[in-house]
Amino acid sequence: MSYGYTGKILRVDLTRATIQIETRDDAFYRLYPGGKAIAAYFLVRELPPHTEPFAPENRLMLANGLLTGAPFSTATRYTAAARSPLTRAYGESEAGGFWGPELRMAGWDAILITGRAESPVYLWIRDDHVEIRDARHLWGRDPLEVQETIRTAHNDPLIRVLQIGIAGENRVRYAALTNDLRHFNGRNGIGAVMGSKNLRAIAVRGTTRYLDRAYDPQPIAELGRALAQRVKVHPQSWDLQDKGTPGLMDSLNAAGILPTRNFHQGAFEGIDALRWVEYEKHLLTARRSCYACAVRCKREVRLDGQVSAYGGPEYETLDSLGPNCGIGDLHALARANELCNRYLLDSISTGSTIAFAMECFEHGLIGLKETDGIELRFGNADAMLKMIEMIARRQGIGDLLAEGVRRAAETIGGDAREFAMHVKGQELPMHDPRGKVGIGIGYAISENGADHLTSAHDPTIANPDSITFKGGQPLGIEAVPSRELSERKVRNYYILENWTSAGKVLGLCFFGPAPRSFIQVDEVVGAVRAATGWDVTTQDILRIGERATNLARMFNAREGFSHKDDTLPNRLFQPLENGALAGAFISRPDFERALVELYRLKGWDAKGTPTREKLRELGIEWAADSSQ
Amino acid sequence: MHLHLAGHLAWYDAQKRAHLEIHLAEPTRLLTLLRQLGVPPEEIAIVVVNDAPVTLDARVCDTDRVELFPPVGGGSA
Ligand code: SF4
Repeated sequence: MSYGYTGKILRVDLTRATIQIETRDDAFYRLYPGGKAIAAYFLVRELPPHTEPFAPENRLMLANGLLTGAPFSTATRYTAAARSPLTRAYGESEAGGFWGPELRMAGWDAILITGRAESPVYLWIRDDHVEIRDARHLWGRDPLEVQETIRTAHNDPLIRVLQIGIAGENRVRYAALTNDLRHFNGRNGIGAVMGSKNLRAIAVRGTTRYLDRAYDPQPIAELGRALAQRVKVHPQSWDLQDKGTPGLMDSLNAAGILPTRNFHQGAFEGIDALRWVEYEKHLLTARRSCYACAVRCKREVRLDGQVSAYGGPEYETLDSLGPNCGIGDLHALARANELCNRYLLDSISTGSTIAFAMECFEHGLIGLKETDGIELRFGNADAMLKMIEMIARRQGIGDLLAEGVRRAAETIGGDAREFAMHVKGQELPMHDPRGKVGIGIGYAISENGADHLTSAHDPTIANPDSITFKGGQPLGIEAVPSRELSERKVRNYYILENWTSAGKVLGLCFFGPAPRSFIQVDEVVGAVRAATGWDVTTQDILRIGERATNLARMFNAREGFSHKDDTLPNRLFQPLENGALAGAFISRPDFERALVELYRLKGWDAKGTPTREKLRELGIEWAADSSQ
Repeated sequence: MHLHLAGHLAWYDAQKRAHLEIHLAEPTRLLTLLRQLGVPPEEIAIVVVNDAPVTLDARVCDTDRVELFPPVGGGSA
């Protein structure tokens, strides 16, 4: 008997217009319980080596976490994965919202899509009923209209719609997916892969509650009730509810690690206009949530006197299109956020790419001729808004910028490469590793390029008496200052990378488990035990996370990635120009030593490839052979 | 004195205020003041008085503008 997961994976071939149901047994789920693990498993197992990201053969995976849909806070996430058109490496992006839980209620753990439809289609899933439907009338439309049209067509306002926008249709290499218009699989360009398959949307409706499939529903229901109470008394969770991620602007600026002007600076002179008090006063209309989550960290905002259908800007968006572009106009940022979310562009990569283009313009590497007369300078909010349009539609210079900073820099040439803030082709998120070096390790080593959600952020585990450190302590970490780049920092990184990866396998939002937030380590383990009936320990959960990253790493090894790709942009080895950390930089020798130490801890060889022994220890020796 | 409790530090104020006006009869050590307010020092990463970074040992007076910032973690949902 199987519990927690449904045991069913849906296979869709869009070229042949066929649908198959695949069942997997308990032994499979013990190794690959969900999310990132299922996605990496199928991509390594089934994707032919060297498949072009936009080829019909590329696989688009949508995989629920093991706990996705369980009725407790933050058990909301699913993974979207494919070979990334941005990095050409293993690509993935997680999102919460409502779609994953609905897919689970419909009885599916994952969907594996291959092929390319002859003309635009969408997938319609109602429990066991699965259909490929014509979407020619939806192509080129706004997500709001697409969602309404699909809900009306099936006469059900509770249908959950996962979809791409025109950026995905136009294969912008950092196109995103959304569900319920407000929750995004932003990174790695998975939306462009979906667009290349002529698949506009996947609409889902399900009727079986998670608890009806759980081994022991009682502890899960109790955890849900406990967390709903705890939000009020756990300061970090309360803060997420009160301010959400936009509340970070203040503190990161004070810490001197608010990326400003394409990572030249760490503090922004125009911060006053972007503080939470201003957001609350001018934009906020309501606080919203993902499925069954009591944290409610999502913001609703008004724009031109109307509530936006696409949610409010998160921290990453505010900074990447704001200070990182030298812009401090809150209304322009609310508009930019709506544009990114309507066209379905990853707002991190969009902001980073525009900041890159602004620096190129200021240095004369591109001029008014290339920009169609737009003064593309730091601080020009109108130019930033115009660029978003041009990128989504691939108009003018937008066509080049839609390729991401790495490719754009290669085309522009000269110093442009120094301005391209990326790792493995993916633009940097809005966290400066010069103030929290563990984040730099994560940027460098992540299989999907610069990613800020691979491990806990250093400041949360720097003080041994803090709530966050104490939350993470059962994992065996020690308190280490944020800027210390030492063996013990690497050890913390390793443990917390496995833990964070496990969160992506289990379907938990980054804001759920300790150390970041309020679900304690033993409660995560307890939830897995109750859902499945498996007799697992904390070490087993860490191993589940480690297995998933090793599989993804094997995908990359097969595609020619190695230690030489585990780098950071040169700028991070140079001093910050202003703010509380003016003059701070990362020491390159320390950084290189840290990576060598991390490979050793991980059981990887000098090239950064998992050894056969390591794969055997993780129960995935097969990956050593299939990845040659 | 104006006090800004950034991020989750506002939770420690009984009314969950991020911005407070506090009357100080005489210069007071920040640590002493925090003890009175119930804000735990281990949750504070950065202290800024009148735009200049200081430590919790600093003394503040009634005309000061004091900002306390927590350690900050991941910023994406
Ligand atoms: S913490 Fe926020 S982003 Fe995470 S599941 Fe809850 S509402 Fe969604």
